Amino acid sequence: MKKKNSIMGMAFFGPALVLLTLFLFLPMLLTFGFSFTDYFALNPELTHFVGLENYLNIFKDDLFVQSFFNTVKFVVIIVPLQCGGALLLALAINKAAHCKKYFKVAFFVPVVMSLAVVSTLWMQIYSPEGILNTLLANFGIDAQPFIYSAGQALPSIAIMSVWQGVGYQMIIFLGGLQNINPALYEAAEMDHASGWQKFKDITLPELKPLCVFVFITVTIGAFRMLVQPMVMTGGGPDHSTYTIVYDIYETGTVNWEMGLASTMAIVFTVFVVILTIIQNVLTKDKEERKHGNKKAKAN
Amino acid sequence: MVTKKQKRINWILVAVLLVLSIFFLFPVIWMLANSFKPDAAITADMNSIAAFIPPAPDGSFFDNYVQIITNTSFLRYMVNTLLYAAILIVLSIVVNGLAGYALAKIRFPFRDQWLMIIIMLLIVPTETVITIHFLIIAKAGLLNTIVGYILPLIVNPFNIFLFRQVFVSLPDDVYEAAQLDFCGPVKYFFTMVLPMSKTVVATVSVFTFLNVWNDYLWPSLVFTSSDLLTAQIGLNSITSNENTTMGQTLAVITLITIPVIIIYSLFSKQIVEGVTSTGSKEG
Repeated sequence: MKKKNSIMGMAFFGPALVLLTLFLFLPMLLTFGFSFTDYFALNPELTHFVGLENYLNIFKDDLFVQSFFNTVKFVVIIVPLQCGGALLLALAINKAAHCKKYFKVAFFVPVVMSLAVVSTLWMQIYSPEGILNTLLANFGIDAQPFIYSAGQALPSIAIMSVWQGVGYQMIIFLGGLQNINPALYEAAEMDHASGWQKFKDITLPELKPLCVFVFITVTIGAFRMLVQPMVMTGGGPDHSTYTIVYDIYETGTVNWEMGLASTMAIVFTVFVVILTIIQNVLTKDKEERKHGNKKAKAN
Repeated sequence: MVTKKQKRINWILVAVLLVLSIFFLFPVIWMLANSFKPDAAITADMNSIAAFIPPAPDGSFFDNYVQIITNTSFLRYMVNTLLYAAILIVLSIVVNGLAGYALAKIRFPFRDQWLMIIIMLLIVPTETVITIHFLIIAKAGLLNTIVGYILPLIVNPFNIFLFRQVFVSLPDDVYEAAQLDFCGPVKYFFTMVLPMSKTVVATVSVFTFLNVWNDYLWPSLVFTSSDLLTAQIGLNSITSNENTTMGQTLAVITLITIPVIIIYSLFSKQIVEGVTSTGSKEG
């Protein structure tokens, strides 16, 4: 029976294991290994072990440093707007007495569109003689260059990304709001709590784990910024919208410098893994406390 | 219970949300309205409310759409993408489903360790390995082939985990009964387990479709031949063509979004449940 189980287990798990090995374990090992070499994919015979040289060099590489700070700028603009916007929308829609369904759909519409579609659409909207500049002219605002200037390209793309993504987190928050036990509010009303007190003492604490989850997932999402600048600006003007993932992609698959690209990928992955671990620690704590409370009550 | 003051606040809230939603949707409304206009009309309407109103339907109403469908390979890109999505849906259900079943029900050596590894793999972002995928597919001579595009996308730790979570709660006695029967374990999986787990099969199918339909980086790396492009990459080659007008660009991006809208409206319940459950499970 035992032998039969191991044969059957491997027959069922085997196909996935082969593909996992080929396309996850092996690539991860190779990425790690390449990151200590000067592997150039067009001339692999000339590969040398270079130790930590790549890790030191990428932080001296102006382009990587710029792409790193650009990515941080994206994160800094997107995270508060998208998380805060989604929370405010969810709270407002949850309270709204009418048209709830319409609001949910309306703010979710851009989520349905792909990044390439949204980027193509907003290139038209941001164009020098486009609809946005025409609308602004009606308010007496001069034509703005938007994605065509090094100063405005990054915030323009960031705002478009918030527009595209905010509906997704709004739905998550709405789900969380609906899961809050109404008895909590009823109890608060009996104590004549004000609306603000109810929000501060019930809604916010109940939503806290969800806020952490949304905060981290939006941060990771912004950290992975690639398609929007790729379609809209090609990373420009003057590399002002060049991001870490864009740099990994071009270094590895356009310039074939796999060693360097692997080093960047490892640095990037470490950041993402740290963020994920922070999220797990912050939310697990909460859950354990909840379960602990339940146990305590049961006793 | 609802006081007069609260009622007024509610109304103000609805009014504010209504105005906000109109501003929020202005790019989409503009896209739809102008996808039916020739470029001259788009420019002429720009400075008036007409920019957000479709033209009166006449013989040339669908011109941009007709041009896109007849003069570009766009339909072909759509069909390609649907084909890739169909293949990947079947393969992901089989490969990830079988693996999820093994992790849930079969006591094979190191099972719990494998499960731990799968959970840990959930953290790794695809960007980490995508350049190596490209290297492997290039070395295997599979660039610009459907096989090369599909192979790295089949296995997905998230789907394995999803299947495992559902299968673990299936009753064991049905499986034992099937053992006595002629019904082999594999046949049992396809004729009993999968049909009993329609929800997770639907979830995996929907999300696989959306991933294939919306993916940009991987197909742009693998495909160079215009015959094999997916819709998202084909979109780029159509809009970067100088002969494509603004109205046609708006028509293409509308067309490309239609299948996704259909999927969302058919499966909105599953999708919203999936979205909110990832939030509440992990949060």
